[in-house]
Amino acid sequence: MMKVKDGDLDKLGLLFERYNRPLYSFFYKKTFQTDVSEDLVQSVFERMLKYRSTYSGSGAFTTWMFSIARNAHIDHYRQNKKHNEKEELDEDRMGGASPEFGEMDERTKRKKILEQALDQLDEDKKEVVILSRYEGLKYAEIAEIQGVTESAVKVRFFRAMKDLKNIVHTLSEEYSDE
Amino acid sequence: MNKKYEELIAEYLNGELDEQETARVEALIAGGEIDMIDFKAMEQLHNELEIVSTPEPSSEMSDRFYAMLEEEKASAKPTFNISEKLNELFAALTMPRLAYAFVLLIVGGFIGAQVGSNDSQINELTDQMQDMREMMIVSMLEGASTTDRLRAVNISAELPIADEKAVRALLFTLNNDESVNVRVQTIETLKKWGEDETVREGLVSAIGAQNSDVVIIALADAMVEMGLQNSKSEFENLIQERNLNINVKEKLESTIASL
Repeated sequence: MMKVKDGDLDKLGLLFERYNRPLYSFFYKKTFQTDVSEDLVQSVFERMLKYRSTYSGSGAFTTWMFSIARNAHIDHYRQNKKHNEKEELDEDRMGGASPEFGEMDERTKRKKILEQALDQLDEDKKEVVILSRYEGLKYAEIAEIQGVTESAVKVRFFRAMKDLKNIVHTLSEEYSDE
Repeated sequence: MNKKYEELIAEYLNGELDEQETARVEALIAGGEIDMIDFKAMEQLHNELEIVSTPEPSSEMSDRFYAMLEEEKASAKPTFNISEKLNELFAALTMPRLAYAFVLLIVGGFIGAQVGSNDSQINELTDQMQDMREMMIVSMLEGASTTDRLRAVNISAELPIADEKAVRALLFTLNNDESVNVRVQTIETLKKWGEDETVREGLVSAIGAQNSDVVIIALADAMVEMGLQNSKSEFENLIQERNLNINVKEKLESTIASL
């Protein structure tokens, strides 16, 4: 990134090749929408170019990158709110024309429940789970991204897992009643 | 579960505890201070989260990024820096090309010394230099490296007039190059010579040969900019014959309306 900052813009291509999948995965698990996730990845790289002069190189690049990603998602969420486009859970976002729940195999059923449960977590908790469980970030790095203490992130993670357990339990019961 | 152990369990699940701390957690479970059933349920759920997968992004994501990068690079370029242009040329020269250029220079110098420096000779020498540059561009456009081909397109943009050989090579590149970035940059370069009939016809007939949404959109913008109304039928064919992305379709419809 320091080379990009110094004007070697081709190096951004290397960063894209290295990080487009983790970023896409981050946005997908936040939104469960493929087209929105792709737009947000593009937005992150546009912001990296725009704000390249602010990159200090003092911390980990991934922390800087996910901070930009977090802001891009917040802006997207605000914009959607402004246009009254509700970000509610719907069947289309969870796989569109997928078969009925009863026709799925056990693994697919469990996956669907976990996706829905993850989607129901509040945004900060969901983010901690995504960054730690899927993107492999340490709590100290997540604390920097979220602008809170490391201790607060750990508590947030624990409570996210607790909420997730309860939501999974409720959803499993709802589906078994169908 | 006891609140004072929340942070400890979070660290355990994220693999941030050393051996000693891990043993402490296990001791707390064994001693009943951390509820074993709650803990195991949470640990199992944490492991299970692995099945929440992410689909592959589409190739358009990559195309869009590289188109944006090329645009940014083009806008960040200084207007004209002769030393940079020379560096670009020399960076592209392999030994045989360098040797050829050197021979041409010597021959040109020799002819110049023999015939004096009247205007017609200077013009002849200028033409030779132009020929040499065009030959180099054509050779680079055939190269295997995307960077070299992009560089060739950029160098050709500096040619003062639309030369038939260069135009033909660029149109061939537009219809056949595997890189979307090279094709988009080629459109930008050809646009400069929009007065030339071969360029105009070549750009219009290139529409049907494109598969990349980014290139199709770049061509649509070029057609509007150049006011090429005969491109309308090409776009209408694309809309009818291809299963285009909805955004591309809308773009083409607005292009047809503008034209």
